[in-house]
Amino acid sequence: MSEKPFLQLKNISKTFPGVKALDKVQLEILPGEVHALVGENGAGKSTLIKILSGVEKPDPGAEILIDGHPVNIRQPLDANQQGIAVIYQDFSLFPNLTVAENISFGKEISQGRRLVNWNENRETATKTLEELGIELDLHLPLERLPVAKQQLVAIARALAFKARLIIMDEPTSSLSRGEVENLFNIIRSLTQKGIAILFVSHRLQELFTIADRFTVLRDGKYIGTYRKEELNEERLISLMVGRKIDFVRQSRSSRGPVLLEVKSITKKGHFKDISFTLHRGEILGLTGLVGAGRTEVAQALFGLTVPEEGEIILEGVKVNIRSPEEAMGLGIAYIPEGRQREGLVLRQPVAQNISVTMLRKLRSKLGLLDAESERRLVEEYMEALDIRPRLPQMLAMQLSGGNQQKVVLAKWLATRPKILIIDEPTNGIDVGAKAEIHKLLRRLAEEGMGIIMISSELPEILAVSDRILVMRRGRLVGEFTSEEATQEKIMNRAFMGAPAGLRPKRGLQGDRG
Amino acid sequence: MRQLSKSKELWIFIILIVLSALISARSSVFLRPDNLIDLLKNNAVLGIMALGMTLIIITGGIDVSVGAVVAVLTVIIGKFMVTLGGNLFLVFLVAVGSGVLLGLFNGALIAFANIPPIVVTLGSMSIINGLMLYYTNGAWISNIPSWFIDFGQITLFKFTDTAGNTVGVPIQIFIFLAMVLLTWALLKYTLVGRAVYAIGGNLVSARRVGINIARTLIFVYAYMGFLAGVAAVTHTSIMRQVDPNAFLGFELQVIAAVVLGGASLTGGTGSIIGTVFGVLFMAVLNNGLILTHIPTFWQKIIVGLIIILAVSFDVLQRKRMEKSLPKIDVEN
Repeated sequence: MSEKPFLQLKNISKTFPGVKALDKVQLEILPGEVHALVGENGAGKSTLIKILSGVEKPDPGAEILIDGHPVNIRQPLDANQQGIAVIYQDFSLFPNLTVAENISFGKEISQGRRLVNWNENRETATKTLEELGIELDLHLPLERLPVAKQQLVAIARALAFKARLIIMDEPTSSLSRGEVENLFNIIRSLTQKGIAILFVSHRLQELFTIADRFTVLRDGKYIGTYRKEELNEERLISLMVGRKIDFVRQSRSSRGPVLLEVKSITKKGHFKDISFTLHRGEILGLTGLVGAGRTEVAQALFGLTVPEEGEIILEGVKVNIRSPEEAMGLGIAYIPEGRQREGLVLRQPVAQNISVTMLRKLRSKLGLLDAESERRLVEEYMEALDIRPRLPQMLAMQLSGGNQQKVVLAKWLATRPKILIIDEPTNGIDVGAKAEIHKLLRRLAEEGMGIIMISSELPEILAVSDRILVMRRGRLVGEFTSEEATQEKIMNRAFMGAPAGLRPKRGLQGDRG
Repeated sequence: MRQLSKSKELWIFIILIVLSALISARSSVFLRPDNLIDLLKNNAVLGIMALGMTLIIITGGIDVSVGAVVAVLTVIIGKFMVTLGGNLFLVFLVAVGSGVLLGLFNGALIAFANIPPIVVTLGSMSIINGLMLYYTNGAWISNIPSWFIDFGQITLFKFTDTAGNTVGVPIQIFIFLAMVLLTWALLKYTLVGRAVYAIGGNLVSARRVGINIARTLIFVYAYMGFLAGVAAVTHTSIMRQVDPNAFLGFELQVIAAVVLGGASLTGGTGSIIGTVFGVLFMAVLNNGLILTHIPTFWQKIIVGLIIILAVSFDVLQRKRMEKSLPKIDVEN
């Protein structure tokens, strides 16, 4: 590691409408170091990467220095020409092109060539693969390679255009343990050549194995840069968490009898051995890092995926939920994340958005829609949920985010569910509206509904839930009552899993679940 | 996909050979040189258009305006020759220039306004057809100057076949071959050509690796316009008159030939050699049905069935592949 930094970022801010994703962040990367970028979901890591790779532009006032000289990175090509390569989580390769072409494509484009020299392409590919010490069939279409090999192709592509900094976004998330070891060996050989690695990962153990320095972000702010020796896992987590709690803790409703019992359901590649209960009148918070399998579990309860093993028991009766229709018939409602995309018909009036789940029941004797009953139903729910303005004929797209979410809620509440599963209920709506949604959820629980709330926002989870479940990499790794839970405890589990003693026995078969 | 599409191309080649064998068993005329040359000549226009459509389909797009575009280009050069005269070079220039302009119009709307290609090209098809009807009233243009008719009758490599007829290879076949070579080289040896594959394979990755998506898309639709210009000249040189309605529904044949040749409508795959086989298949099928006195509506039915089979095969393959991808790594 030499002392002169390859890259320096100073005063990087990024404002999206209504949100400050990054607030005066800095970052310094030395040649040949492995630098870890860490933070919770939404801390601003992805935005920072996007700025470095030219996908997003920072707010005015930002400074990016390479070898001490200020540079402009306005588009991906600029980043490539400055020697910055990104290996995205999805690798961003071309499945229909050969290995050789995938490797040499970036180089050709950054050279601004017009014609393709196939011999040179093959040579480039052969050389970079040799450098990495790996052997691949150059003429094989990429999509025929296993995931780990595709990643090596992505690394080779970065090397081919002489990258001096390779940014790796969650590079180990789809690798087995052996493959991770192999990747780390390659990373070490790259750093010996003076190539710097910016490593973004949720897996703290891996970071402590490979990284030299850590930069921590929290809520879009720069917290600090630390050498590995200065840190341990507990200290790192305490640096990452500690977001302001801007919600009032809800008073708890009294818990009724068991409503739902889930017994070790498993779906290969999604989640494994998930067991929990849900009571009447209870809000169960389900949290974990993005990609931990939370949404997949919710989808299994709603019949969108069918678990391969395990049982679901609803009010004492074992049920098989194979489709959303069956789930709705059993009194389960599911409000997915991304209400605009999946939950609403934006170009239709509020009234029709609410009544759509109830069309069958709103039929008159002739089988036509009974407009009068529809009007009454819509008014009832707009009143109950305080949807504003109270204009049933207004288009859904004209409402604020909070009111849109209420319309989605109204639509599902009209089916009178016993269980409500809601995924990221307040994503992207303002604080006041968030609190209102929280109150609404509590009121529904008090009326006897069982609610499963999935959320990545710890303050929200802590403020609203009666009990909290934590998932990590497809498994349940922790359960807390609202009294004992803290942000630190939850994040410890979300990042590092259950303490050794509590950990379920490891299977003897391979690494992949 | 390269190897898979190779096998797709192999399949259409095998089907082509089997079909030819069946037809030649029932008709002695089929394999005669003059019949084969006629067959190629009559499908040169389809072939030229299919080359451009291949590029568009590889990017994941579609162009349903090609029938209208080539029709209006024949009208334009017909009027041009009848009223202004000119020479062969100018006729080519006018056809190709107008074609590129129309292609640029499609391409710019698709690339900058981000409107789906099917919508843009449906719209431009309707506009062009409407304007053409207004302008021509559907009337044919005849009295094409003799120098142009002479050009259409040029044949090369004359030889005498076993029956004693003198046959030559008409100029239209050479035009087609030249376009095949040009488009093949474009796809294989230029960065734009590789960008066409990249965009169809993974649009997000293409943007991240620094490909100029808008420029590539505009180029592809403009190139389609260029080929439509060449096709318009070729068509007029064969027919020696202009029928504004000659290309009604032609776009479907063009798309069919490309899909038969192994290009996937979801983008990313397709090749010039495959498209040439696809065009030959359509040509041989049509010719064979005529020679064996089977009503030619069967061509449409058979082509339709093969397309549905080919596309379902694609979709099944894709689904299987998506299933095999791991989503998240569950800790054991």
